[in-house]
Amino acid sequence: MAAALSAAALLLGCCGAALASGVQDQAEQFFRSGHTNNWAVLVCTSRFWFNYRHVANTLSVYRSVKRLGIPDSHIVLMLADDMACNPRNPKPATVFSHKNMELNVYGDDVEVDYRSYEVTVENFLRVLTGRIPPSTPRSKRLLSDDRSNILIYMTGHGGNGFLKFQDSEEITNVELADAFEQMWQKRRYNELLFIIDTCQGASMYERFYSPNIMALASSQVGEDSLSHQPDLGIGVHLMDRYTFYVLEFLEEIHPASQTNMNDLFQVCPKSLCVSTPGHRTDLFQRDPQNVLITDFFGSVRKVEITTETISLDRDLAGFENELPKDELATEPLKYADQLPVAQIIHQKPKQKDWHPPGGFILGLWALIIMVFFKTYGIKHMKHIF
Amino acid sequence: MAAPLVLVVLVAVTLRAALYRSSLAAFISERVEVASPLSAWKRVVEGLALLDLGVSPYSGAIFHETPLIIYLFHFLIEYAELVFMVSASGNLWSFSLVQFKKQKLLIELDKYAPDVAELIRTPMEMHYIPLKVALFYLLNPYTVMSCVAKSTCAINNTVIAFFILATIKGSAFLSAVFLALATYQSLYPVTLFAPALLYLLQRQFIPIKPKSKSFWLYTMQYAALYLCSLVVIICLSFFLLNSWDFIPSVYGFILSVPDLTPNIGLFWYFFAEMFEHFSLFFVCVFQINVFFYTIPLAVKLKEHPVFFMFVQLAIISIFKSYPTVGDVALYMAFLPVWSHLYRFLRNIFILSCVLIVCSLLFPVLWHLWIYAGSANSNFYYAITLTFNIGQILLISDYFYAFLRREYYLTHGLHLTRQDGTEAMLVLK
Repeated sequence: MAAALSAAALLLGCCGAALASGVQDQAEQFFRSGHTNNWAVLVCTSRFWFNYRHVANTLSVYRSVKRLGIPDSHIVLMLADDMACNPRNPKPATVFSHKNMELNVYGDDVEVDYRSYEVTVENFLRVLTGRIPPSTPRSKRLLSDDRSNILIYMTGHGGNGFLKFQDSEEITNVELADAFEQMWQKRRYNELLFIIDTCQGASMYERFYSPNIMALASSQVGEDSLSHQPDLGIGVHLMDRYTFYVLEFLEEIHPASQTNMNDLFQVCPKSLCVSTPGHRTDLFQRDPQNVLITDFFGSVRKVEITTETISLDRDLAGFENELPKDELATEPLKYADQLPVAQIIHQKPKQKDWHPPGGFILGLWALIIMVFFKTYGIKHMKHIF
Repeated sequence: MAAPLVLVVLVAVTLRAALYRSSLAAFISERVEVASPLSAWKRVVEGLALLDLGVSPYSGAIFHETPLIIYLFHFLIEYAELVFMVSASGNLWSFSLVQFKKQKLLIELDKYAPDVAELIRTPMEMHYIPLKVALFYLLNPYTVMSCVAKSTCAINNTVIAFFILATIKGSAFLSAVFLALATYQSLYPVTLFAPALLYLLQRQFIPIKPKSKSFWLYTMQYAALYLCSLVVIICLSFFLLNSWDFIPSVYGFILSVPDLTPNIGLFWYFFAEMFEHFSLFFVCVFQINVFFYTIPLAVKLKEHPVFFMFVQLAIISIFKSYPTVGDVALYMAFLPVWSHLYRFLRNIFILSCVLIVCSLLFPVLWHLWIYAGSANSNFYYAITLTFNIGQILLISDYFYAFLRREYYLTHGLHLTRQDGTEAMLVLK
């Protein structure tokens, strides 16, 4: 936040001073993406030793994201965390992501926020929507705001429309879409990148309907995501193919990279991945060509150093309209239309009184009168009257 | 005769009015013993509210009343309490006008053995029977509770009472009309067709022989009257809502017993714990149970149709699918008519104790089951079973007493065997 403010102040100064337009151009680049901070929510939804690869997936992404600049305070890591110290682990306190044990992604400084049985659908949704009990520590909260870009990575076992959590419950694509909509309505994100590496992963992003979401999945509906390589020393598969190739791709990214999302979409073609990765960008306002990888995977602070003295100008009006037009949506974004409350509360229910049909009343009373006259003639009825 | 009657009516009306205004009214109207899914007032209100919202009241599983009830209460819903009080007094009025058995005694006096004078009822005694019946009905706690709960059972009872009045007065047409109304309202009074027919035949002095033509003629006439009025009433109800929805909702509901809310009947527990596979079979068995006793009773009691009617009413209210205490009150109102059987009743003390204790235990065990959680449905069903056993034994006791009296009437009070020693009459 402070960095952004200082950047804005510098920019204002530059504008106000009416200096060379080179600074002006550079300044416009500051606001190209519109976000000021980055968050990551990395979720591994499986437990048990044979799901080693899901934990390795998540930890690898965690490592990359940390390397590119997102601090632990802005990462919510949810793991079952029963791999490193599992009795079946021949190399205790390690989680390897590559054969031949080249890369230990567990290390000394991993900070798991939700571990073991805390990784539940309820906690995940609470983290996303922010509806957390007041006693939750800061490290377990997603304290994003409307200028945050959030990366959400999920891995585990899934199916068509659902993702299995810890072998006992599921989250459906509808729930996920609704959670994202809640986030949008509560201004909890600026843009959101959703990556999922499970079987039939594309079904999980089918139902999204909130703006500014880009989604990637490792396989289409009806396909399984496959794992990459078993390690004979450890005895299980170490990683999933899609995440493996994404990580290879991310290894080449550094905080100043200008690589954009279209390159990420090309990662892991069918020849390497066996499944067909999919992506969804229709809800995203910007062109993926213009979206940097570091907009989501890293936390790149935009700092411009200048030796010139700048006087701050109060005139902001001209500046605010200077947004690059080609990248914005044609209609301004607004939060969801609220219900027409005023109309509803003053509406009275329509009082339609039901009346029995005339034919019925006529028939009934005709019958009653007929019975009356029929019996009236009978002798003993006289006693009643 | 009129003055004590008016007094009784006044007392009854005051009692009901006082209870309506007290806090007990809400409590009583929720009791399952008083309000069944067929007759609960809450459901009537719900159905009428649905109708006002433009939805057919039969579209859900809430409303199981007939369209004529809809019509009746549509205009009278604010005066519901008055309606029920009026129906109670209508009941009473019809009972009071029934003068049972008067003619029969006079006809058959010469058939009786000489020493049975003490068994014959005096006209003096008979004079007070209507008052006693009125008292029994109006001041019976069951009736009071049923009226305060505004259960439509009271309307059922009124229609059946009018039917009995019409039958006793000998008007076949009116009796057929009221029987059709009673059957239309709740299916089971169709079994009252047999006693009514027998009574009317007796009244016309037509002997009951399968070969006699006049017997069949009269039967056909009566049956035709009954069926025609039933068909007319059902077709008329079609025109109320322009749909036949009410038939599965009312008769399908009564016959197939889908709602297993506990009540004082025998169906709910059984069907709550039965496998789906067998439920059709047992529904048939239970329903046949209600209708079946008509045949042997008709054979045995063909000379005594009024008693037959009483027993049949009792059987309906014991074995019907959703009984309430209002149904019990109906046949209990007739007990004073057979007060002369008192000397032959064998178990009356125990039975009355059983009935009273069970009635008191119903709310206790309900509370223990539902609220305290320390009992379960078995307890409540045990009391239901005991109550029904008490009722069945009561009826069979009266039946036995009746048959015994008839035997004594024809064979004399002091029975002797062939060799002169005293004999005992035993029911085999």
